Amino acid sequence: MAETYTGNVQNHPLTFFAIIGERSSAFFEHLARYCSLMWWMLRNVHNAKEYSRNIYQQMVMIGNDSIPIVVFVSAFVGMVTAVQSAYQLYDWIPRAVVGSLVVKSVLLELTPLLTALVLAGKVGATITAELGTMRVTEQIDALEALAFDSISFLITPRVLSGMLMFPVLIIFGDLVAIIGGLIGSVAVANIPAEAFINGMKSSFETKDAIFGIIKANFFGFTITSVACYQGYYVEGGSEGVGKATMGTVVLTCLAVVVMDFILASILL
Amino acid sequence: MQVSSLILNPGLSLLIRIQNIWKRFGEKQVLRGISFDVRDKETTVVLGRSGGGKSVLLKMIIGLVKPDSGSIEVDSKDVTKMNYKELRAMRFKFGFLFQGAALFDSMTVGENIALSLRRHTGWTEKEINESIEFALHIVGLDNVAEVMPSSLSGGMKKRVGLARAVALTPRYVLYDEPTTGLDMETADGINLLIKDMRTKLGITSIVVTHDIHSAFVVGDRFAVLENGTTLMTGTREEIQQSENEEVRKYINSSLPMTEGNRA
Ligand SMILES: Nc1ncnc2c1ncn2[C@@H]1O[C@H](COP(=O)(O)OP(=O)(O)OP(=O)(O)O)[C@@H](O)[C@H]1O
Ligand SMILES: [Mg+2]
Repeated sequence: MAETYTGNVQNHPLTFFAIIGERSSAFFEHLARYCSLMWWMLRNVHNAKEYSRNIYQQMVMIGNDSIPIVVFVSAFVGMVTAVQSAYQLYDWIPRAVVGSLVVKSVLLELTPLLTALVLAGKVGATITAELGTMRVTEQIDALEALAFDSISFLITPRVLSGMLMFPVLIIFGDLVAIIGGLIGSVAVANIPAEAFINGMKSSFETKDAIFGIIKANFFGFTITSVACYQGYYVEGGSEGVGKATMGTVVLTCLAVVVMDFILASILL
Repeated sequence: MQVSSLILNPGLSLLIRIQNIWKRFGEKQVLRGISFDVRDKETTVVLGRSGGGKSVLLKMIIGLVKPDSGSIEVDSKDVTKMNYKELRAMRFKFGFLFQGAALFDSMTVGENIALSLRRHTGWTEKEINESIEFALHIVGLDNVAEVMPSSLSGGMKKRVGLARAVALTPRYVLYDEPTTGLDMETADGINLLIKDMRTKLGITSIVVTHDIHSAFVVGDRFAVLENGTTLMTGTREEIQQSENEEVRKYINSSLPMTEGNRA
């Protein structure tokens, strides 16, 4: 009957598309708002006196405070790469190849990607929770009321620090991962240190390291800017902050792997 | 009396003019045509139910929330049509006490107050420290400059918020429930402060409050909101003598708070 039909929209065949339409329009709304936030930030980036006070603090939070976890992850990444490379090699292949494999995969892919995924959790979640709490407790309103530009004051230093510190962390991680690879080769895979180092030297290319650093730069921007967006526009009290924080971790992890693929396709 | 002569003086300029403000959040129509005027060097008290949109209205005045329709003129410029640069210049003239104090919890109490002093004045560190001490002193807080806001009580936070709002002696101060959560004595101190701000410094204020005792101590002029509209506006005497039942409800509901019943 016509009455029940209109009354019970859930069974309407079009609902499926309506939901997709709604979801995608919400997505584009977020995208538009994210872009305008970034545009605002960019347009006022010359105004360094708005945020210079905060940038040091953010560099410490994003860079310094992340060193232990980056060292830990990178060391194990290096070791496991060495051990698995050695395991996969046929007997007649020279052992020095392990050194080549470790340095290539660590610089190009493993350290940047895994570090970014770990930092998406650590840095991203921290930023969203911080800004989200400031939003729901009206601290962002209070900043605006005191005639501060809250975007320049809060978001710019975080995003700039992310873009600056991620590459630094990745360089650090690269170094630790290669040392880890060496340790893994010598201690577990019984490869002489000399062979590993020779293999490493023979295949090291500066452009691989630079590629990793460029990736780190993009990852740093993406993670911090998405986290800032999520926090800055939180709605719905502390529950909203929790949801947004989880959303940041999921979103930034997805963004990092997708971007990793795109950058590899373009730059390699 | 000085106060009533000020009110009756027809030559006084209107400084904030709120006209026919409408606002809805989702399904909820919160404001349905609020209008009232705030005059120079007067304290206007806004009364209304919890959830009636008083805090939203205050935020609209400094452009933190945009109304769906209507205009808010500050010094004859429409806030709702300002661009961001103009908004910031205008906000500079305002002090704002948030209902929940909204202290920056990553900074000490002193830094909370120093933040805008450092940005907006050319003062030396020594002058800034002195102003912090002074601002905290006038709200009845001493030796808390080094403390983090999270270790303060609700009432103390409120007073730090007040100190932060008035530290730069703005031209206008908007108080969102300045005495809520304070004991009688401290509340009286705050009422006195709001009065002094007007009489000694000539500051124009809007006070949102549920505390009718405080309202009559500080208020020169009143706006009573009901159902998202302006139920009544008038001077203290007009409100006190109002025959309107709804208005009387506000005044009478708060009888236990009046001076005589306090002891
Ligand atoms: N940003 C927002 N998003 C959605 N709804 C909001 C928002 N801000 C306020 N509201 C709603 O508007 C209404 C009015 O809120 P407001 O805080 O102004 O009330 P109030 O008069 O200050 O109440 P109280 O006296 O309890 O402080 C409430 O129902 C609130 O839920
Ligand atoms: Mg309120």
